[in-house]
Amino acid sequence: MVESMIVIDEHGTIERVNKVTGDMFGYRPDELVGQSIGILMAGADKARHGNYLNRYKQTGIRRIIGIGREVQAQRKDGSSFPAHIAVGEVGAGNTRRFVGLVRDLTEQRQSEEEALRQREEMVNVSRLSMMGEMAAAMAHELNQPLTAIANYAAASIRLLEQGTADSLADVRDALQEIKDQAHRAGDVIQRTRSFTKSADGTRTVTRIHEVAALIRSLATLDTKANNIQLNWEIPADLPPIVADSVQIQQIILNLVRNAVDAMENTPADRRQISVTAKLTAPHEIRLEVSDRGTGVSEAAAANVFNAFYTTKSAGMGMGLAICRTIARAHGGQLGFRNNEPEEGGATFFFTLPTQVNN
Amino acid sequence: MPSNPAKVFVVDDDQAVRNSLRLLFKTVNIDTATFESGDAFLHEYDSDWHGCILLDIRMPGTSGLEVQKMLRERGNTLPVIFITGHGDVPMAVEAMQLGAFDFVQKPFRDQELVDRVSQALSQNQQQQDSFLHQRHVQACYAELTPREKEVMQCVVKGQANKVIAMDLDVSQRTVEIHRARVMEKMQARSLADLVRMSLVLNE
Repeated sequence: MVESMIVIDEHGTIERVNKVTGDMFGYRPDELVGQSIGILMAGADKARHGNYLNRYKQTGIRRIIGIGREVQAQRKDGSSFPAHIAVGEVGAGNTRRFVGLVRDLTEQRQSEEEALRQREEMVNVSRLSMMGEMAAAMAHELNQPLTAIANYAAASIRLLEQGTADSLADVRDALQEIKDQAHRAGDVIQRTRSFTKSADGTRTVTRIHEVAALIRSLATLDTKANNIQLNWEIPADLPPIVADSVQIQQIILNLVRNAVDAMENTPADRRQISVTAKLTAPHEIRLEVSDRGTGVSEAAAANVFNAFYTTKSAGMGMGLAICRTIARAHGGQLGFRNNEPEEGGATFFFTLPTQVNN
Repeated sequence: MPSNPAKVFVVDDDQAVRNSLRLLFKTVNIDTATFESGDAFLHEYDSDWHGCILLDIRMPGTSGLEVQKMLRERGNTLPVIFITGHGDVPMAVEAMQLGAFDFVQKPFRDQELVDRVSQALSQNQQQQDSFLHQRHVQACYAELTPREKEVMQCVVKGQANKVIAMDLDVSQRTVEIHRARVMEKMQARSLADLVRMSLVLNE
């Protein structure tokens, strides 16, 4: 990258600039010579810069010199741009000069912002798709009681039409069942509601077993479809956490999904996923998802958490990268280990700090 | 077959669904036997059963599709109707390709389900009838003497008594006697009846 080079004297007056400086700031090089360096700074940095020089001369405390700093630079037309400035010192006494190297950070900033925006979008997409899957799981769960209700009601109508004394007792039992099944459906909806309530991205004081319970049916749907035994051991007495429930569910579901995928070639009788949680330090909860799959190869180990890295044919390579972002945002960590050879597979885990009472 | 009546064998992991189906079929006088898992069903399964199987496609443990595959390996002739959920259509298609009789989506209309099950039951009954008929014909045929079998083969080919007599080098009168014995032992009411029986024997 081409950099602007500016030589100033110890009062901050520009003595020499290179051609890049003129292009970057919109001046002819000779227009700048003799001007104060402040002319190239915007807003607060304009005033501050003179102070830095004075203070350095008086106290020797370096604010920019030899350190480098990000500033808002100003072009001739008054527009400003982010710049990195590194200053070196040459000579001493009256011949002391400062050489500044200025780099335009506009493009770098843009790509950083773009990356941030993309990541946020990705989190949103995966949150949305999880909501969709959650809805599908709820539809499946609602279907069971609805099917039973429809059957009982249909049978009741037929029984009443037959109108025998025996059939009345059956109708009574059927109505009782309809009532129970309606409540069962209501419970499913209740759970959906508490799931979506926390979906606005806010953190609340909650407990890991409650957060995990909401995702359990979704995880079960996956493991069922793949003939996997799912062990779910999350104690109810772990200390509370402060977390965005949906995001934590996203991590758990992601880890379970990965575990499911890892066992594609595991014999059916060995297919098993354990989701466990425990207190691993006075203020740290650790949730683990353990499988009996292929484990993590040495080559993959270095990259699993990187965005766009995937070992799956249809994978995006975003799952674990997002999970790690979420875990870190909660003050936790995401990690893994390969299991002992006799068990096989891998264990992925994340930690969360417990709520600290002030 | 009073000792082995036709039933709907319901395999579903959801107790409420099983019980409600049992009651629904009771109202249309169809007997049911219910099983809470594919494994429980396969454990009890007997190839002498009559009726049809109502199989939930999505179950923990052995899935509905796997149950169907294992039944095929065991020579099952019971029609299989799958119960599927909302998003299970691809699985249902696979099931149909594997020879399932039909599938119904949850929650189903009672009349629709009853109709499908009735169709499956009558298909199984027909199969059963033709199987019994074949066994009956085979048993009758086994009663024929070698000479009578020869005569029967010629008769069903449409040969006249005179031709048969020449072919077998016996008198026409003897052929007539054999032929009468064949009709009697085979319990055939007409020549056409006998021809149909010979087709069953060759199946």
